[in-house]
Amino acid sequence: MQTELFQKDKTNKLSSTRVGGKMTADYWENIFTAKERGKHVVWYNGAAMNPLFQAAGLEWCHGEAFAARLAAQHLEEPAQAAGAEYGYIGELCSYARTHLGCAVLTQQSRTESETGVVGLLDQKELAAKLPAPDFFVNGYAGCSTGQQWDAMTYRVFDRKLPVFNVSLPMLWGNKPDAGYMRGEEWVEVSDYAEGQLRELITFLEHQTGRPFDWDVLSESMSFIKRASELRLEAMQLCTHAPTPATYWDWVASIAPINFLPGNQALVDYFAGVKAEIEQRLRDGVSAVKDERYRVYFDGIMNWNKLGFLTRKFAEYDVSVVAGRYTHESFWQEPQLIDVDNPLRGMAQHYLLCPLNHGLKNLQELLLRRLDEYAIDGIAFHSTRTCRAMTNPQTMLAKTAERERGVKSFFFEGDVADASFYNDELFDSRLEAMLEAIDVQRTKSLV
Amino acid sequence: MSELHAPSMAMLQTVADDPVTYANNWKTAHQRPVVGSFPMNFPVELVHAAGALPVIIQESRTPITEGRSLLAEFYCGYTRSVADQAAIGELDVFDAFAAADHCVQLLGAVDAIRYTRPEKPVHFAQFTSAMDDAWTKPRVDGRIAELRSQIETVTGTAVETDTLSASIKAFNRNRQLLRHFYELRRSGRARITASEMQLLVKSSMVMDIDQHTAALQTILAELPVHDEAPDDVVRLHISGHFCHAPRPEILDVIEESGAIVVDDDLYTGFRYISTDVPESQDPLAALSSWYLERNVKAPCPTRVTSEVDWDTYLLDSIAASGASGVLVLMAKFCEPHMLYYPELRKALESHGIPSLLIETEHEGIPVEKLRTQMETFVERIRRHVTTVAV
Ligand code: SF4
Ligand code: SF4
Repeated sequence: MQTELFQKDKTNKLSSTRVGGKMTADYWENIFTAKERGKHVVWYNGAAMNPLFQAAGLEWCHGEAFAARLAAQHLEEPAQAAGAEYGYIGELCSYARTHLGCAVLTQQSRTESETGVVGLLDQKELAAKLPAPDFFVNGYAGCSTGQQWDAMTYRVFDRKLPVFNVSLPMLWGNKPDAGYMRGEEWVEVSDYAEGQLRELITFLEHQTGRPFDWDVLSESMSFIKRASELRLEAMQLCTHAPTPATYWDWVASIAPINFLPGNQALVDYFAGVKAEIEQRLRDGVSAVKDERYRVYFDGIMNWNKLGFLTRKFAEYDVSVVAGRYTHESFWQEPQLIDVDNPLRGMAQHYLLCPLNHGLKNLQELLLRRLDEYAIDGIAFHSTRTCRAMTNPQTMLAKTAERERGVKSFFFEGDVADASFYNDELFDSRLEAMLEAIDVQRTKSLV
Repeated sequence: MSELHAPSMAMLQTVADDPVTYANNWKTAHQRPVVGSFPMNFPVELVHAAGALPVIIQESRTPITEGRSLLAEFYCGYTRSVADQAAIGELDVFDAFAAADHCVQLLGAVDAIRYTRPEKPVHFAQFTSAMDDAWTKPRVDGRIAELRSQIETVTGTAVETDTLSASIKAFNRNRQLLRHFYELRRSGRARITASEMQLLVKSSMVMDIDQHTAALQTILAELPVHDEAPDDVVRLHISGHFCHAPRPEILDVIEESGAIVVDDDLYTGFRYISTDVPESQDPLAALSSWYLERNVKAPCPTRVTSEVDWDTYLLDSIAASGASGVLVLMAKFCEPHMLYYPELRKALESHGIPSLLIETEHEGIPVEKLRTQMETFVERIRRHVTTVAV
């Protein structure tokens, strides 16, 4: 198969996601001025704890989100260089080392301004723009690196700022009754995680000196629940072939669902996305011109290469229709949320992070999505510095082939470090997979 | 020339080099199960009390073959080796596996065991790794209770309180003896090389504990203790290297470069034996106390805590041993270590303590290059010590 890359762009991205991009940009602009506005700032990692911060009247900075944003804008280098100078080795989670680099810069700029030293290098400014935290909250599921990352941020800030750790046990799935959202283990760890959220609320009250506003929490969770339902309904429409929207559109919607405030604007945004998709279905408009293959994406995004990969898959007539990161995360089980008493459903979502399952649950989830979306192949992004994502990948690939005859390929890259991406390998491996799918199709015609 | 009792050391070497054969022989002789576990905080006493042999699975020296199709090449050597051993059937001697730690790479390797050996029980008793919280201890108590019942199921033997207390005593005795070797080495009056020390600890991880204690007693009885420590040697502390034991040849090169190792915080070293299980409490509760106390005695970089710091602990150890430099051994791709390393470097630099970082790989590292690096490092320390003395 010979393909001239990017002769013409065969993608047709949703235009409604631009609204989300604007909302997200405004959100960050707002964060950058938090200190000037006299706000308390929490740095947090992992689970979407933002509704709790919203109800506590805080401003919140999500570590991975900021690192991803820098990478998507190709602005990660100053932070990574600061991290490297501090001693973080390049094989360490690139989210962690980008954000730790930001922490180093933020800490330096704080010290410099306290000591009256002026003249920050321009390139530092962007990363150092993050307002220094007043405290940290860590709620990382599945990945030990996430938890240690905040333990190190605490040290970068001279071990002075309080840290609250929410310990989220892995859904290991070993008991005979265990499975996705079922069994004794699920109930037991849900209780445990919920208990810690109550403790977290006491901690937040202590940090802010204000009583926690349960009404605000209920209200914001009601918006999030509605937004989530709309998002899932819209995703469901993409089981249609050719698909009206792709995985990349869902990637564009991650920031809103993952950390923007729960409010009417969020609901309107997802209503807009859904309406556009419905309109496309009515008009017979597809997201990728000449869709010939439907592919599932496993891996965290390579944020540096988002646009590039979007166009590239489309060039091969591939619609990437669903993925582990987009479809198994982010308030994806809204029925669990009781808006009058939301903590349990929130705790359960934190546990349902797609990095927090043992292999058995992941096999169950993958097979379900393969069937639902009529998937022909799987792209495994061998996410170099994220072992949480890569842990089960080879075994999932074997499961897909064995159980459904679904082919897959692996390509290298990373969340926030462009140097790990290898374009030649990408092309040859994708082509090999597509050829295998063609052969399979021919055989099934015989 | 080693000063340690040769026949005993040879016996320990055989066990440490090939734990699987040892486990197989033990199984045949005792007709009892063998349970494999993983670093770094597994309470082996529970397995022992069920009449089974607890073995902490070691990195194998063989090149990775089948394991390649299970875990990517950017995993630490230990986890890749575990996945490989599982895939090629090396671990089939084990009747069950149990883990307590949640390093993300380790979990990948343990999942690879579940995948390749679906018939084997693989239990994960996840010990909460945030150590400062009010709910940590009760949660760990719960996981230990669960672990006990899993072990009872796979071994078919109830873990009685008295038996568990006896097992705790047996392991404490062993750790105390090993710590005695450490004290002698620190004093400089006993010549125990780094690779010998590793052998003493590593063999205790895989061998019947009473048999091991007996061997330690023989070695101790035969150990020449000198009146004075040698002077004019550079005293080193080796730090880091978590789940897998550094290769002995690396340790040997370090000491061939004119230095002696006087202390370490290696997992297959002092970290493993740093803490006894309290004998005065209910034995199950004591195992979770051990877990928490261990992190205070030798703060573990895979745990999350604000109360204690590995860097502070390292500085204190150096003060106690009189080491004049630190060699940081880092298993390539070990994330907890990569995350913590800058803090160590900062602490050492701020105290003017020379340090050298060496990354090791499963496939081995070029020994000649290491030799040159070590010789330069030792020379740097000598100059540094002279400068400080002036
Ligand atoms: S390794 Fe992956 S899951 Fe872990 S902190 Fe980094 S990006 Fe998150
Ligand atoms: S702690 Fe380090 S050596 Fe141990 S399994 Fe994790 S990455 Fe590997």
